[in-house]
Amino acid sequence: MKIYHIIIIIIFSTFFINCESKNKKINEVNLYSQRHYNVDKKQYENFEKITGIKVNVVKANADELIERLKNEGADSPADLFITVDAGKLHKASQNGLLQKINSNKINIDNQLKDPNGFWVPITYRARIIVYSNERVKKADLSTYSDLANEKWKGKILVRSSSNSYNQALMASIIANDGIESASKWSKGIVENFARNPKGNDRDQVKAIASGQGDIAIVNSYYIGLLLSSKNDDEISAGKAVSVFFPNQGEDKRGSHINVSGIGLTKNSPNKKNAIKLIEYLTSVDAQKIYVNNSYEYPVNTLVEPNEIVKEWGTFKKDSLDLNLLGKFRNEAILIFDKTGWK
Amino acid sequence: MEIISIKKIYNRKWTIGNILIGSFLFLPIGVLFYNLFNSKGKSFKYLFENLLFDYSLNTIYLILITCLCSLIFAILPAWFISNYKFKGRKIYDVLLFLPLSIPSYIMAFTYSEILSFTGPIQTFFKNFSPEIADFLNKDYLQIEVLGIILALALYPYVYTSSRISFSYIGSNYINLSKTLGLSSIKTFYKVIIPLSKPAIFSGLFLIILEVLNEYGAVKYFGVNTYTTGIFRAWFSMGETNTAIQLACLLLIIVFLIFVFEKKSNSNKGFYYSSNSKIQKLNMVVKKNLPIIHFSCLIPFLFGFFFPFIFILNNSFKIISSIEYKELIVLLVNSLSVSSISSLLIVLFGIIFIFIEKNSKSKINVLITQLVSLGYAIPGAVIGLSLILLFTSLKKSFFPISIIGSIYILIYAYIVRFLAVGISPIRSSVEKMPESYNDTGKNLGLGFYNLLKKIHLPINKLALISAFIITFVDLLKELPITLILRPFNFDTLATQTYQFAIEEMLKESSIYSLFIITIGCVMLLIFKAILNKELDVS
Repeated sequence: MKIYHIIIIIIFSTFFINCESKNKKINEVNLYSQRHYNVDKKQYENFEKITGIKVNVVKANADELIERLKNEGADSPADLFITVDAGKLHKASQNGLLQKINSNKINIDNQLKDPNGFWVPITYRARIIVYSNERVKKADLSTYSDLANEKWKGKILVRSSSNSYNQALMASIIANDGIESASKWSKGIVENFARNPKGNDRDQVKAIASGQGDIAIVNSYYIGLLLSSKNDDEISAGKAVSVFFPNQGEDKRGSHINVSGIGLTKNSPNKKNAIKLIEYLTSVDAQKIYVNNSYEYPVNTLVEPNEIVKEWGTFKKDSLDLNLLGKFRNEAILIFDKTGWK
Repeated sequence: MEIISIKKIYNRKWTIGNILIGSFLFLPIGVLFYNLFNSKGKSFKYLFENLLFDYSLNTIYLILITCLCSLIFAILPAWFISNYKFKGRKIYDVLLFLPLSIPSYIMAFTYSEILSFTGPIQTFFKNFSPEIADFLNKDYLQIEVLGIILALALYPYVYTSSRISFSYIGSNYINLSKTLGLSSIKTFYKVIIPLSKPAIFSGLFLIILEVLNEYGAVKYFGVNTYTTGIFRAWFSMGETNTAIQLACLLLIIVFLIFVFEKKSNSNKGFYYSSNSKIQKLNMVVKKNLPIIHFSCLIPFLFGFFFPFIFILNNSFKIISSIEYKELIVLLVNSLSVSSISSLLIVLFGIIFIFIEKNSKSKINVLITQLVSLGYAIPGAVIGLSLILLFTSLKKSFFPISIIGSIYILIYAYIVRFLAVGISPIRSSVEKMPESYNDTGKNLGLGFYNLLKKIHLPINKLALISAFIITFVDLLKELPITLILRPFNFDTLATQTYQFAIEEMLKESSIYSLFIITIGCVMLLIFKAILNKELDVS
């Protein structure tokens, strides 16, 4: 009999889990989010405190969420779709999963806006070059394409091509320079690899510190995270490198950037609340929370980056329509495969 | 005549029931095959021609390294512990199990942190002896290192199966071989290993499946395996169809290995022959003692102790910032979902095995094999197939909200992990003498009473073991939970992963600590049951 008792208790406890989420169904907004940083939880709690609207989140890979949205169709409970890559937002809007966002309370940098109005950026980051303070002279660095130059043979560190940040970078190069020169660039980079692509962005920086390579392509905020780490060795790894924004100068297009962005789903059941959340996330208060916790760049023009990030100076951003990062994604993958960027 | 016809009716009724439950559980796999034949992934040809060969080679290489290392870690201690009497033997027997409680991706992340340039080892030597630090400063993210790490996490599968087998190989065989003049070492290679081959292979088979499904660790180490190909098709190229095609191909290959293994072992029925008594333990020659301790300690230290201490240490470092309320919610979520699913898995498992055993119809054997296939499919693909399944059913049967409900999550768990629960039940039922069944039937017991009065009591311990093994696996489960979970639903595993993937290993440590501790407690119970059940000395 004892076992039956346990079974009954357990089954009741799941009902309890379910009921708990159902009871609060009155004032809420539902997110499908690819972002899983700690700072997001803080934002949603703040939002709930201010507006009384409960934020429900499912976090998973962007493509999994797109698949879920596609299949759920008109009945989807999701109101908002958040990604860390404009390309995925483009994909969602291409699949007819998003609707245009209308609000006059969203105050963001014009250059970062979606020309079609399907998504709103909430933070942005640059894919930058970091170099060894000991072994590389800043004057030798210039552009992304220069990294394919023979002089960097055996010196370049970067993570694998399955990573969406690299795919977006390659897509931006295709969009700017065309497939042919993108292939050539990729081939040059592969020949200059210090080792096979592996690890995450922070590992590339550590690999410079440990002398396995001299130059790495990484997202800007990871340097901020390293420098603000509680581990002394991570800080010293962060200090062993300097930040370089490629493609600067009058005649250059600027450094490649990408956004974390938010889209309103086509059949959003809580549309008003969803818009309110978008307005909150792009507000000055929320943007300050972002920049000081995740070291990303703010999209709200009234907010400045974190002190650590500010020290790297300002830079010119590539003005490419970020939707193209999604459009050229497949071409980017083909180039990676063809040129052996693992 | 009459008795036979009654039996037939029973058979038919139960077989029909079995087919119904079987198809319910096979449905998601069926959906995959349906999609396979009904749509064309554009990139399949491309992937097949350009990348799959490389990916497959990597996969095979990784599997070989992992299996080889697992054998090294598992076989020797299993042999020593089964056959020799020495101090600490019983403790080793328990300790060697524990790595199973550490999810393989956590093992991989933890080791790469320990070994990294900013990790404890290199930091220590940097202050102490720069020459050694220089020597240690290497790129550890290599396929070989990954193989060893995975083996450290997975070797207990081989350890368990070979340990049982070694204990059961009767002293007759060993005495005979010694009489024939074979040395201990030769006996081991020429008699014991061949006799234990089926058991060792069944352990290796699980390891192979685990390696095939590994994604997080593999990606981090920059090793492109077959599963990378599946996700490259889906996530990078946005082609779910191609992903499904690749997953189906993998499924067929695994099924073939499975069948091949079954066939090649089917004529080795002597294995648990009744004259095999548990072997008497031998005394150890003193000079061999260090070898024994060494071979038992290494897998435990590297597979459990070091990573555990590292994680524990990290947890202490962040102890002030732990949110206990959240931790409790995660704990309740993890425990309740895992235990309900494991209970259901055991329930289905006993039904399948019981019917397979008692009706002689071949179809029931096939059903058990088919529903066990779920274990060979990457979790995310099962998640995808369930989404496809329920959206095609939604208009007619269900509200769409069922996709984000706990019930679908549990359904998916069952589909994926049924095989894990079935295997201990099967091995226990198979050891049950036929005569019990026949006696029961002669006494006029129907199928239901046969199950209730004979099978359940006799196999009780196996059922509990099955529960524990699936429970520990579910506690570690990640990809299915990620894609199918309800709003605001996190488990210990998803929380761990979310921090680890964002390169915040320290913050993730407290959650992995709980996974590991709960897993350990369960495994200790499991071990106690196993010893009791098998009477393994």
